[in-house]
Amino acid sequence: MAKNKIRQKMNWKKELALAPGYLVVGIWVVFTFVLIGWIILASFSTTREIFDGNLFKFATGLHPENYVKAWKTHKVSSYFMNSLLYTLVSCTLVIIVSAPAAYVLSRFKFRGNGFLQNLFATALGIPAIMIIMPLFSLFSQMHVNQSRGLLIFLYIAINVPFTIFFLNTFFHNLSVTFEEAAAIDGCSPMKTFWMIMLPLAQPGIITVTIFNFITIWNEYFISLIFANTAKTRPVAVGLYSMIQSMRYTGDWGGMFAAVVIVFLPTFILYIFLSEKIIASVTGGAIKG
Amino acid sequence: MKTKNKAMIVIFLAPAVFLYTMVFLYPTIRTVIMSFFKVEGVTDAVSTWKFNGMGNFKTLFNTPLFVSALQNIGLIWLVGGIGVMLVSLLFGVILTSGVHGKSFFRSVIYLPNVISAVAMGTMWINYVYNPDFGLINSTLKGLGFKNAAAQWTGPELVFWSMLIAYCFGMVGYHMLIWMSGIERIPTDFYEAATIEGANVFQRFSKITLPLLKGVCRTNIVLWTVSTMAFFVWSQLFSPVNLSASTVTPMSYMYELVFGASSSAITVRDSGAGAAIGVILTMVVIVVFMFTQLIVRHDDVEL
Repeated sequence: MAKNKIRQKMNWKKELALAPGYLVVGIWVVFTFVLIGWIILASFSTTREIFDGNLFKFATGLHPENYVKAWKTHKVSSYFMNSLLYTLVSCTLVIIVSAPAAYVLSRFKFRGNGFLQNLFATALGIPAIMIIMPLFSLFSQMHVNQSRGLLIFLYIAINVPFTIFFLNTFFHNLSVTFEEAAAIDGCSPMKTFWMIMLPLAQPGIITVTIFNFITIWNEYFISLIFANTAKTRPVAVGLYSMIQSMRYTGDWGGMFAAVVIVFLPTFILYIFLSEKIIASVTGGAIKG
Repeated sequence: MKTKNKAMIVIFLAPAVFLYTMVFLYPTIRTVIMSFFKVEGVTDAVSTWKFNGMGNFKTLFNTPLFVSALQNIGLIWLVGGIGVMLVSLLFGVILTSGVHGKSFFRSVIYLPNVISAVAMGTMWINYVYNPDFGLINSTLKGLGFKNAAAQWTGPELVFWSMLIAYCFGMVGYHMLIWMSGIERIPTDFYEAATIEGANVFQRFSKITLPLLKGVCRTNIVLWTVSTMAFFVWSQLFSPVNLSASTVTPMSYMYELVFGASSSAITVRDSGAGAAIGVILTMVVIVVFMFTQLIVRHDDVEL
């Protein structure tokens, strides 16, 4: 009884000490909610209501036609489908290229291993500006600029170094006992990788794929240069070009609807999978 | 067994090494060479390149708009960097100090990183900073500060408005990196210190900070890499023409090489564009080496 009381008092004291922390973080969180909440409300309002500040009344009802307009007339549907294609294909292929490389780099001792790891790590620091000019020249000679395939190829290549870097540490933290047991049972190293190590690395693969998905979905600079046509544009560049034209037409409801359509996929993905990231970061060792 | 491994190593590494060579190694080397040549169009054949020595660099440093770009990126890096590092470290410490709803707060603060920068920028420009119905101006009016309402994206304030909008998103990213570092510190360190009578601030300065040196280095390097690529925010805040208040080396390069808008720059100069790339890369390398110096290898790292 007495012990319980002390603990309660301690907890209460602890919470009080944390109050300034709650306050600071709370203000930040409220601001984020206001920002996104307002955009969602505005996307259901008319331009007039937005300017009059009558967002919360919905005097003329909801206006889902903003979404229809953005989706159809402003071609958001085309940008959206492009982005979906780019993201899904690149994310899958990035793992197929990176996971074996990361595994070999984290497990096998061979000459040049450290050099290769450093090489891939340097790619994380190379600004995009250093690679785009020769690539643009090369791909225009090959007549593949402004095509969907090229953009997917570039997204894969650009995200490989980070994915290797990430999975490398992940494989490193997996126990070697799995491979030892597999070797005793007569399993070849290559088979061991595909059958045992890759499934064990699943949490890491999922985490890095979420990162890659978000990066590629939101990618702007590379697609601005290599796929900036009405047919091949992904959402970020598409949204930018749409906002530019809406400056003149003044369809604010439609613009905010387009903004919502663009951020919704990564937003929803994040709501469902942020726990997954947190679990794989803090979960520690994998329980075999 | 050994030869088998060798074949596996080669097969597993080949695709990644090929992509790296084609998309990182070859272009980087070619850009460095290009920066010393007079090259007009980006697709010009190598035979038309004329050696220019340090000429491209000289031209750049004599162009007022590029000097503004350097000043802007310097301010973004330094002022934005200090702000983002302090706020993200504060949030990281708060969220790892045993608050309830830690993963909720963490998710919300990281959220802007998940959303397209174009969408975030549109929200800031067309809502937060809007002079008519914007969040800041209407809040100021509501509180009775009618005179404080301002043109946040007007020429005088646009740089700082842009910087704040950019930093708002970056805080969450760097906070996650701090947190992963803080969480790797064994809790018995803190328990032992608490038993010995150390208070919150002592625990932070004597345990957390020294053990976060490695994470600090990572954060500074990552911040440098991402600010040197500062581009989309600059485009969003000055969509029509380059302006001295928002131009960055990247947006200047884009105009020089790909000449999108009808701005002041009419002559295309890809050699100078390459030189900008070399300058930005040098900054990243210098910052990287500098951080290696501060955090020595013999320091405790977790």
